[in-house]
Amino acid sequence: MASIQLNSVSRIYGQGASAVHAVKGIDLQIEDGEFMIFLGPSGCGKSTTLRMIAGLEPVSQGDLLIDGQRVNDVDPAERDLAIVFQNYALYPHMSVRQNMAFGLKLRGTPGPEIESRIAGVAETLGIRPLLDRKPSQLSGGQRQRVALGRALVREPRAFLLDEPLSNLDAKLRSVMRTELIKLHRKLGTTMIHVTHDQVEAMTMGTRICIMRGGEIVQVGKPQDVYRDPADTFVAGFLATPPMNLIPARIEAAGEGLAVIAPGLSVPVPEAYRAAYAPYTGREVILGIRPEDLFETPEGAAPAAIDCSIETVEALGPETILNVKLGQGGSELAARLPAEGDWEVARQIRLFADSLRMHLFDPETTRKIAR
Amino acid sequence: MKKYMLSSLSALALTAVAAHAETVNILMEAVPDTTYIQQLLPEFEEATGIDVNLEVVNYAEMHTKLVPQLVSNSGSYSAIVVDFYWVGEFFKAGWMQPLDDRIAADGFDTSVYVPAMMDLVGQVEGTTYMLPFYNYAMGLLYRTDLLEDEANKTAYMDAFGTELKKPETWDEYLQQVKFFTKDGSYGVVNQGLRPDPIAMEWSNYLFAKGGEFIDDGWHATFNSPEGVAALEDYITNLNDYGPVGAASFSFDEAFNVFSQGQAYSYITYNFFRAAVDDASGSAIVGKGEIMGVPGQTPEEGGSLNGAWGWAIPKSSPNPDAAWEFLKWVESPEIAKKRALLGGSATRLDVFDDAEVIAKYPQTTALKELLLGSHNFPTFTYTPQFVEVLGRELSLAVSGEKSAQEALDAAAAEFDELAIKDGRQE
Amino acid sequence: MAHVTTMERENRRFGWLLTAPGLVLLAAVVLFPIVWAGITSFFNYSLIFPGYDDFAGLGNYAKAADDGEFLHSAWITLLFVVAVVGIQFVAGFVVALMLNDARRGKTVYYLILLCPLLINPVVVGLMWRMILHPTLGIVNWLLGTVGIEPVNWLGAPDMAFWTVVLVDIWHQVSFMVVLLLAGLSALPAEPYEAARVDGATPFQRFWHITLPMMKPVIVVTLLIRMIFAIKTYDIIYIMTRGGPGVATDLISYFIYRRAFVSLDLGEACAMAAMLLIVIAGLTAVLWRSMRQVQD
Repeated sequence: MASIQLNSVSRIYGQGASAVHAVKGIDLQIEDGEFMIFLGPSGCGKSTTLRMIAGLEPVSQGDLLIDGQRVNDVDPAERDLAIVFQNYALYPHMSVRQNMAFGLKLRGTPGPEIESRIAGVAETLGIRPLLDRKPSQLSGGQRQRVALGRALVREPRAFLLDEPLSNLDAKLRSVMRTELIKLHRKLGTTMIHVTHDQVEAMTMGTRICIMRGGEIVQVGKPQDVYRDPADTFVAGFLATPPMNLIPARIEAAGEGLAVIAPGLSVPVPEAYRAAYAPYTGREVILGIRPEDLFETPEGAAPAAIDCSIETVEALGPETILNVKLGQGGSELAARLPAEGDWEVARQIRLFADSLRMHLFDPETTRKIAR
Repeated sequence: MKKYMLSSLSALALTAVAAHAETVNILMEAVPDTTYIQQLLPEFEEATGIDVNLEVVNYAEMHTKLVPQLVSNSGSYSAIVVDFYWVGEFFKAGWMQPLDDRIAADGFDTSVYVPAMMDLVGQVEGTTYMLPFYNYAMGLLYRTDLLEDEANKTAYMDAFGTELKKPETWDEYLQQVKFFTKDGSYGVVNQGLRPDPIAMEWSNYLFAKGGEFIDDGWHATFNSPEGVAALEDYITNLNDYGPVGAASFSFDEAFNVFSQGQAYSYITYNFFRAAVDDASGSAIVGKGEIMGVPGQTPEEGGSLNGAWGWAIPKSSPNPDAAWEFLKWVESPEIAKKRALLGGSATRLDVFDDAEVIAKYPQTTALKELLLGSHNFPTFTYTPQFVEVLGRELSLAVSGEKSAQEALDAAAAEFDELAIKDGRQE
Repeated sequence: MAHVTTMERENRRFGWLLTAPGLVLLAAVVLFPIVWAGITSFFNYSLIFPGYDDFAGLGNYAKAADDGEFLHSAWITLLFVVAVVGIQFVAGFVVALMLNDARRGKTVYYLILLCPLLINPVVVGLMWRMILHPTLGIVNWLLGTVGIEPVNWLGAPDMAFWTVVLVDIWHQVSFMVVLLLAGLSALPAEPYEAARVDGATPFQRFWHITLPMMKPVIVVTLLIRMIFAIKTYDIIYIMTRGGPGVATDLISYFIYRRAFVSLDLGEACAMAAMLLIVIAGLTAVLWRSMRQVQD
């Protein structure tokens, strides 16, 4: 059980002018027992951060603390963490049993205890029949379980998972997702899970840490981050299809304000008027989630949007419409119930719940507070 | 010459092929005598219009390269050079063409060759297969400056009660070897490498000690008491009066020790005599001389004879052109020119040539050396015998066998080979 | 036998068609000489009297097996191969491990190490004969400057054996380095990271991860090197001619002399065939051990 703390931690490759800052002075507190997700596109520094925690990469600047103790210079072997790699990193010449026993043997765990721990973990993961096989005789999903098992038998202070599900097919991935969630609930051990898959991020973690370009953009509970993205990056990254982001302006409209874009005019609800007033006459980015567009007026302040259908993606339980706003307008995605009679190129009218709109400053890309 | 022109012209007419493109291919060893020929080749090519292509390789490769060409029906070598100890083998295998008809037809004079040369690399069982090319009879290289040194003379007189001078007998030579081993210098340097360097060098010891390789019935006699004593002398010289490592020396390494002035004497091939005076590789220019290896009495010599001969293989693609080349290269004027460049002579007319003697005063000593030299037994299995002898001598030198054991083993194998060759009853 | 469709049959025929030229070429350049040597080994075939008139049966084999010098050469060759391959393997592995960790100047080290390998063995032999010349060579001179007596590198039996071993190591060790390094750099990095997190020390990582994962490469490297070592000929020819005595009379040089000095091809072929059988046996053993690793 461990809490992990990063104080202004950086990872710098190379020196001088050619130095590359992979991680730029991030601060993060991961609580004991938390399931923390590092989310971001490739190259954002999330894996590097995980590897620094594991001790596989040195910390260039800043302090890394585990349970309040600075571990920058502590060998990975002594940090008592376990890591599960994306490509499993099993020892190819050892059987499953030997793979799992290796770390324990090195630590001098007595034989009978190793045996009982392996038996227990193998039972949990359903890999008992595989114990005497070599990794080359296992399927991808089985290897994944073995890799996980190898981490579990160690009973470490924390688990570090480096995109462990990304090599699995979609079905297996969702099964393993559920199992990891259950495991975490059962063990209560701190877990850090690196992924670029926003579904994993949303479903698995107690908190998400979204990274971009070596920096932390936003940290929070999945629903909070979803509901209240800190900037256009987060807004555009979480969920599929992502939030619609439309270049727009705020104009005075009679008594109040309206967000105007080609083919679109959304009145600013009373509640937000004071917050958005300073932006009157300025460019903004309007954000509307596809699920906040409706066929019929909904919510307290619906705004009508006229558009033409570009494509129809019938997914079964729901349908994603890609529509185009009037003359020279932007394209939007709308998530609508499955039933409906849509044809490409037909003109339709959709309604936005204006209370659920987000506005971002185009210069900083940050959300305009309200 | 006219005759030759005519015959060559008629040959041209017959073959009706572009004769000026004819090429004589010869495989030769990279030695000084080969380079002298290379220098003179333009004369031949100008006179005959025949191109000569010399393929020059190290000794080590020669036998290996020759054999496949000689075995085949049509080889690539027009003429070849034959080391004396391949003669028996080549003769037995029938790889060489008899030259007597050509010699008679062209009136080529073979009587000018040193008789021992003709025996070694000329005739086999009464038929002439080769013309002697150059001799490499072995001699004793020694340091004249050390002999003339007054301090040495006095010390030698004090020690042995005799005068220090060029040795006349084998025992006197051995005494000098012992005497000159002092102050970081050695009395002798040996070439103890297997198989031919040690076998050839020790042959001189055998002859000097009064021993012989075989009796008239081709039975090995070199394991006689004389032979054993000769090998014991050799071991003592190599281990006690020579430099460390001489047991692994080939002739070039041994000569380096001698030419750097570190040893009083070195028994080796006579062509090294010229190298003593070559300032580019010698620190003892003008201080070394060669003589025949001394024997039991001043009248006897202990030198081993050695020579190369020219031959035309059965597989020669163009034997006529090859013969033209042989005739030219062994003609009196070319033989003399080669000698003037530094070549080792095989002909008495060259040895006695005033111009040659004037340029190389040692010529007379070399002639005496050659005349007093002994032949190595040449038969079909000479190469194999050299191999066996070299191995056994080396075993004795490295102390793994006694002299008697080693020579007995070699003699037994010699007898087997002689029986196999039908030499013994 | 299962039913074979026309298409499969045609595919098979086409396959044979494609491989035929290669197979024929292989048979011509590899199989033919071996078969020829095999046949010759049963005849009293000498280059002086070439011909297959005198059938010897197993006579050449019996003669070779009874030839003390030949058996001695085989024994010396065994010692030589064990010494050369063993030392080269350990040294080569150490160097390869160091190079694998080197961050900078890898190419430079690589080039320097490759130099000996690029030199013709004959030149290597001549060079070392000069360097090790007991009175005029630089090594003994250097030893002399610190008061060490001149070493008789090639003139004493035991010393000559080890000198030849060392020169061969100097010449060929980079072969090991290159192959092992290629193997090392092809190893996946993840198992090492997993092992580090599992708590393995550098030595434990080498022992439990590197060695087992390298085993196929090691086996192949040892095998190739071993076969090369058995074939060692040039260095012996140049440096010792098998001497002093018979201390360095390796089998390849022995067989060579039987063929080209004695011109006794029948017996030489019999000896070569015996050698081939031994090498083939060793190869099979190593091959099997390698397949076990891969399973």
